[in-house]
Amino acid sequence: MEKRLGEFQAAGVRPVAISVDTSDVSGDLARKAGYTFPILSDPGAAVIRRYQILHAGGGPDGHDIARPAEFLVDSSKIVRWTNFTEDIRVRAHADQMLAAARQLQ
Amino acid sequence: MSEARKANTAPVWALLCALGGVGCTFAVFLGPPLQEALPWLSLLLAGSAVLLLLVGLRRSFGQPEIYRGKALSVVLAIVTLVPAGLTGFAFFGARKLPAATGAPQIGQRVPDFTLSDTSGKPVSLDQLFAATPESPAPKSVLLIFYRGYW
Repeated sequence: MEKRLGEFQAAGVRPVAISVDTSDVSGDLARKAGYTFPILSDPGAAVIRRYQILHAGGGPDGHDIARPAEFLVDSSKIVRWTNFTEDIRVRAHADQMLAAARQLQ
Repeated sequence: MSEARKANTAPVWALLCALGGVGCTFAVFLGPPLQEALPWLSLLLAGSAVLLLLVGLRRSFGQPEIYRGKALSVVLAIVTLVPAGLTGFAFFGARKLPAATGAPQIGQRVPDFTLSDTSGKPVSLDQLFAATPESPAPKSVLLIFYRGYW
């Protein structure tokens, strides 16, 4: 994803990563990878549940995590593109998302 | 009594397919072009490996007058089951995900939220659409929910 962050910016897309990791863990990740976009913490998976993408017991100690999911949201909070992978190893291709993003005002 | 029985190559091909399946399984992580096809290719190779090992066993035990290599076919069959099994395990394990049928779909409004950022400061969905010192106000926000690194 790092390679395409410039394209995200050019298309007016702000990436925001969300997981059950705590702010400390996410902070370490951001520093190591050099990410400057927001990384948010949902330790109790409350927001993950609100979005109905909970993977109950999917974490290593059996704790609840998110199943991978991406939503491109416009300024009216409407979803314009989604990606719900069926294989955790396969990453989404940014092209479709960027095409949807470029159509927005 | 003919000594010129044929070599039983099916078990060897079985092992090669199984190893190919494992290779594809690892290659998925590298994210090459056509990455999405690799898991299916690995499953096809693992399936072919199982078929070929059965063919090999049937030949060496069912047609011993044509094919030699009973012991070798058994050994190779057992050895083949390890990478073939691992490939299948990896394939089905990576797909053990709940469906996302209840999640917000295209055209629907997403739920609001307020969550802490890496410095512990609360950030709302509304604020994510605002300008920051680092970047101007975006036209869209890409919410990336990931499993986490624990």
